[in-house]
Amino acid sequence: MTSLLSDKPLHERVAYLQEKAKEVRLRIIEMIHKANSGHPGGSLSAADMVTALYFDFLRLDPEKPRWADRDRFILSKGHACPVLYATLAMRGYFPLETLDTLRQFESILQGHPIHKTPGVDMTTGSLGHGLSIGLGMALEGKLRKADFRVFVLLGDGEINEGHVWEAAMAASKFGTDNLVAMVDRNRLQMDGFCDEIMPMGDIGAKFRAFGWETLAMDGHDMRDVVLTIEKALLVKGKPTVIVAETTKGRGVSYMQDVCGWHGRCPNEDEFTCAMDEIRSNACLEK
Amino acid sequence: MPREMNPSKAEKPTRQAFSERMVEYGSIDAEFMVMEADIGGSTFTNKWGAAFPERYFNMGIAEGNMVSAAAGMAADGRTVVASSYGVFLTMRAVESVRTMVCYPNLNVKFLSSHGGVTAAIDGVTHQATEDIGMVTTLPNMQVQQPCDTVSARKLLDLALTTPGPVFTRLMRDPLFEVYSEDTEFRMGGSHVLRQGSDITIATYGDIVFQALEAAAELDKQGVSAEVIDMYCVKPFDTEALVKSLSKTGALLVAENHQRRNGLGYELAAFCLREMPVPFDNLGLRDTFAESGNYYKVLEKYGISANWIVTTAQEVLAKKG
Repeated sequence: MTSLLSDKPLHERVAYLQEKAKEVRLRIIEMIHKANSGHPGGSLSAADMVTALYFDFLRLDPEKPRWADRDRFILSKGHACPVLYATLAMRGYFPLETLDTLRQFESILQGHPIHKTPGVDMTTGSLGHGLSIGLGMALEGKLRKADFRVFVLLGDGEINEGHVWEAAMAASKFGTDNLVAMVDRNRLQMDGFCDEIMPMGDIGAKFRAFGWETLAMDGHDMRDVVLTIEKALLVKGKPTVIVAETTKGRGVSYMQDVCGWHGRCPNEDEFTCAMDEIRSNACLEK
Repeated sequence: MPREMNPSKAEKPTRQAFSERMVEYGSIDAEFMVMEADIGGSTFTNKWGAAFPERYFNMGIAEGNMVSAAAGMAADGRTVVASSYGVFLTMRAVESVRTMVCYPNLNVKFLSSHGGVTAAIDGVTHQATEDIGMVTTLPNMQVQQPCDTVSARKLLDLALTTPGPVFTRLMRDPLFEVYSEDTEFRMGGSHVLRQGSDITIATYGDIVFQALEAAAELDKQGVSAEVIDMYCVKPFDTEALVKSLSKTGALLVAENHQRRNGLGYELAAFCLREMPVPFDNLGLRDTFAESGNYYKVLEKYGISANWIVTTAQEVLAKKG
């Protein structure tokens, strides 16, 4: 089985996932507004990909978060955890009301993801570790002759970390074709545009040079997202990276491509505006 | 002065004894895996690679990735040994050790060679002289160091059978035999190797032998020194320490590590809280060491039997 929705026609899958992605975005904004803290920009840029994974591709059981044969998902850009928490709650790992406790004292929803939260496969947030973690999990899958897949979502700023490239060379050496990395290429990092802070150039070419299968997609075109992930799951003998062209803050006009929305919370007016724009798909038509 | 130590009579390095036992243990426990970072010829993990190629992962010269990948492999319960030199495990890879292994409390077992200045001929870049301070600070981490072949073999078994992360500090240079084959070891344990009534000398690893030499010399000087091998550095054996100090009322700690943030500081803090006694500790005095003969380096940097004898007398003078 490659997909939970594979018995449905593609246009129905896409329409269903688009609606889910809209709900994920609304919950991201609500959660961050309520917490008065968090990272909206990178959560919104990853929303479509994470939605497709959790509502279509990942084989998992919210009743058994540690089910041994589940597919793994590592949010290596851990600061974008609102997108993960929203999705996990919508999939039933914990009540939706829990989202209101983001970053609060004694909440299971810590400022960055931790292994103790139901559905979170590994602590992340210190950038650069996720691909190594995913590699270890992929190797474990091979050792156990299990058929679970491991997905790792990386930021395009995060891959400044040399640790990522250590993992890239090792994954290639061990031929972990059960490992799929996705790079959220939103072209912004905390202090500014990636090309100014630390230009990464042709990311696909870099991974290809390390021996990876390299795919590209529009990270906001749900049809492209679904078809590209399907393609990645067919690759044999080597790991695959999908470079997803995205927009930081996608769905909220004043956040899109704006550097300041990496880790800033919207005020009351901005909150209302963001919710209205997401509900009406105001930005998606452009 | 203590009798001349003859390095040619030393047995094997603990790194070799530990890895050889690991190969034996591989047949007892078929589940654990070994990762290393391209120093298998030095840590003797290449013997593991030859015996169990399908359970051996050489991750190349990339210690950070090795430890995080070990965490990924161990995330659902698997035991993974991660091997390198102490400097690299506790400096280059320390964040992976802390956040990816210790925080989730995973069964990653660190084989950490070249502890202290026993990597003497390699120089400061390869001497792990701050590693105990680094790893004992990490929650969930358990830390141990054998002093000879028997204890190295036993501590391998202990690392693999104790849940959670365990850091085993090993030595480059060959050490003298201290223990008989039937000695038992436990996490949180220690052994009194010589009974005494005037002063307690607490130590671990290669300095155990220096302490025993020193105790023999002190005996000639009319001082009865008790020597404890604190092979489990964390959690250390508080019961044994209290029992010994109740008898001797004075403590000297000697270790192949910086004087700061090692077992010495740990035991000093414990004594201040629980039972203040005259105290001193030996180790590197806020300095780096250098290349050269291991015994000469120990002597120059103040961790030898001679230094233990002299300092023990100074501590005793404070007893009044």
